[in-house]
Amino acid sequence: MKILVPVKRVVDYNVKVRVKSDGTGVETAGVKMSMNPFDEIGVEEAVRLKEKGVATEIIAVSLGVAACAETIRTALAMGADRGILVESDADLQPLAVAKLLKAIADKEQPGLIILGKQAIDDDMSATGQMLAALLGWSQGTFASELTVDGGNLTVKREVDGGMETIVLTLPSIVTTDLRLNEPRYASLPNIMKARKKPIETVKPEELGVDVTPRLTVVSVAEPPKRQAGVKVGSVAELVAKLKTEAKVI
Amino acid sequence: MFELSEEHRMLKDLVAKFIDQELIPLERSAIAREARGEAVGLPPEEEGPLLEKCKELGLWALDVPEELGGANLPNVALMAMNEELGRTCVPFTFPPDSPNLHMLMAVANEDQKRRYLAPYAAGETKSAIAISEPGAGGDPAGMLTRAVRDGDDWVINGRKIWISRVSSADFLIVMARTGEGKRADGVTAFLVDRGTPGLIVEREIKMLGGQRTYELVFDNCRVPASQMLGKEGKGFAPMQLRLTVRRLQMGAWCTGMAVRALDMLCEHATQRVTFGQRLADRQAIQWWITDAATRIHACRLMVMDAAAKQDKGMDVRTEASMIKVFATEMAADVIDHAMQAFGAMGVTKELPLQIMAAKVRAMRVYEGPSEVHRATIARRIIDARK
Ligand SMILES: Cc1cc2nc3c(=O)[nH]c(=O)nc-3n(C[C@H](O)[C@H](O)[C@H](O)COP(=O)(O)OP(=O)(O)OC[C@H]3O[C@@H](n4cnc5c(N)ncnc54)[C@H](O)[C@@H]3O)c2cc1C
Repeated sequence: MKILVPVKRVVDYNVKVRVKSDGTGVETAGVKMSMNPFDEIGVEEAVRLKEKGVATEIIAVSLGVAACAETIRTALAMGADRGILVESDADLQPLAVAKLLKAIADKEQPGLIILGKQAIDDDMSATGQMLAALLGWSQGTFASELTVDGGNLTVKREVDGGMETIVLTLPSIVTTDLRLNEPRYASLPNIMKARKKPIETVKPEELGVDVTPRLTVVSVAEPPKRQAGVKVGSVAELVAKLKTEAKVI
Repeated sequence: MFELSEEHRMLKDLVAKFIDQELIPLERSAIAREARGEAVGLPPEEEGPLLEKCKELGLWALDVPEELGGANLPNVALMAMNEELGRTCVPFTFPPDSPNLHMLMAVANEDQKRRYLAPYAAGETKSAIAISEPGAGGDPAGMLTRAVRDGDDWVINGRKIWISRVSSADFLIVMARTGEGKRADGVTAFLVDRGTPGLIVEREIKMLGGQRTYELVFDNCRVPASQMLGKEGKGFAPMQLRLTVRRLQMGAWCTGMAVRALDMLCEHATQRVTFGQRLADRQAIQWWITDAATRIHACRLMVMDAAAKQDKGMDVRTEASMIKVFATEMAADVIDHAMQAFGAMGVTKELPLQIMAAKVRAMRVYEGPSEVHRATIARRIIDARK
C-alpha cells in the first residue's frame, strides 16, 4: 500500500506571528518556516506503518512556493521515499489544495492519505474533509490511534464527549491529532540520505486544476490586548467582585 | 550573502532540537551542582543516556573521515552545529572532541592510528592535552618539561598545569622538550596512557563556573619510543593546528552563548516594568540589544568565513586569532548586559547566565589569552609591510 502524506510549509511554531502592517495577512518575510506539526505527525505515522510492513511506499506532497521543497526534504529525512512538489505562487486555499491532492491521488493510487487535522497558520481544518468528499473515500478525522487490518482501518478519534472508535474501509483519509504519536528526529544519516531521494515538480495547470481563490481575506488583525488582572485580598472580596462587577454569580 | 546549504540547515535544526529537548532540561541540575561547589560536568547517569541518543541520531564522529566511520562534515556545517551547542550552559560536545582528533589525524603513524585514532574517532576513548606549565602558559614555547631518550624508551620529567579533562581521559597528548633547540624548535608530542607509572595527578583545581583542571607531575615517566607522536622536535606545528580547530569552535560557541543571553534579555526586557515603563522601552536597554544583535551577526559571519576558507584548505590562523578575541569579548559583554537587565536575579546562582559568564571568562584566558592573540595579529600585519 502506498501512503500519501501532504506536508505544509508554515511559520515555525516557536515564532510569535505578527500581523503585516497593512492588515493583509501574517508577516512571513525573514521568518523561520517549518513543517506544520500535525503533518509531522502524519509523516511519523506513515513511517511507522512502513516499518510495520503495512505500507510499501511513502510519498510526501507539498503545495506552494518553491521553498516547499525544503519541507518535503524534511519528510524525506524522516523516512518518506519520494516527494512531489506542486509549485505555485498563488494563494492556495483548502479547496484548491484538495483538488490538487485529488489529482495526485488519481495518479498515484495510494491506499491511505494522512493529513494534519489543521495547519497552524490558518487553522482551517478543511483540506482533509474536502479531499475525502472529492475522492468519495471514507474518512477518520482527528485520529489519536490508527491500526490497519487487511482492508480495514480502525481509527480512534478525539471528540468532545471522549473517544470514538470507527472502522473504515480502505482507501481512506485520516487527519492527525496531537496524541497520535511523537514524531522522531530526522537523524544525521537520514538527512544525508534524503538528498538522494527524488522530488518531482509539477504545476497546478499540469494537473488540470484551477487554483483561483474562492475566498477573500477582508482583514487580519491582532487579537485585542489582554488587560492586566487584579489581585484580590480575600475570598470574600473575590466573591463580591464576581457578584457585583463580573456579574457571573 | 552567506547561506548554509539545505542539508546543513537541517543538521543545524537537528542539533537545535537536541539542545532544546535533551540538554536544556539538564540545566537545572547543572546549575544546582555548580551552586553546591561541585563540578558542573554531567554525571555518568546523565551523560550515558545522552550519548546513546547522540549515537542513535548520528550526532557522533561529525568531523571524522568516512574511512574511520565518521560523517566527514565540512567546517561550515560543524560550526553551525557548534553554535547551537553554545546555547546551553550544560557542558557537552559531540564525541570525539575535535582538536586532538585533528592532531592525531595529522601526525599519527599507522600503528598509532590503529591503537589511538580509531577508538578515539569512534568515541570509545577520551583524551586530554598537556601543554601549559607553571612557567609557560600563554607562551608555551617556554616549556621546560623534558623527555630524554633511554634505549628504546623516552623518559619524561616535568610539571604541567591547568590541564582539562584529565579525570576522564584514557590517554594524554603530552608536549615535552626533546632537543637542544630553543623555543618552538625541539618540542615533541607523546601519547601517554592513563595509569602510566610516573604520571602523577598532583591535584584537581577548581576553576570558575564549576570547571576543573588538573596539575600533573611527570616523575621519570617512561614510555616506549612507539609513543612518540609525529616527528621528533617537530611537535609544535601540529599542536598549533589543533588550537586553530578549537578557536573556530570557540567562536561558534560564543555566538550561541550570546544568542541565548540576548534571547533571555529580550524576554525579560519586554516583561519587566520599572518606573511605569518596560525595560524594552528604555534606550539604555535598547542599545544593549542592538549592539548584541550586531556583534552576534558579525561573529557568526567571521566564524562562517573562516570555516569556509578552512574547507578550501586555506590557512586561517590569523582569522582564528581574530575570532578568539572578538567572540569571547562579545559574548562576555552580551552575557553581562543580560545579567544586568535581570537585576538581582541576574546575579543569583539560579540562572544559566552566571555559568555562561564564568565559562566565557575562562575562555578569554585559555587557548591563548586575548592579549597574546592581539599581539600576534598585530605582528603579522606589521611584518607583512616589511
Ligand atoms: C579552564 C581552563 C582550561 C585549560 N585547559 C588546558 C588544557 O587542557 N591543556 C593545557 O595545556 N592548558 C590548558 N589551560 C591553560 C591555558 O592554555 C593557559 O592558562 C593560557 O595559555 C595562559 O597561560 P598562563 O595561565 O600561564 O598565563 P600567562 O601566560 O602568564 O599570561 C597571563 C596574562 O598575561 C598577559 N600576557 C601574556 N603574554 C602576553 C603578551 N605577549 N602580550 C601582552 N600580554 C600578555 C595576558 O593578559 C595573560 O592573560 C587551561 C586554562 C583554563 C583557564
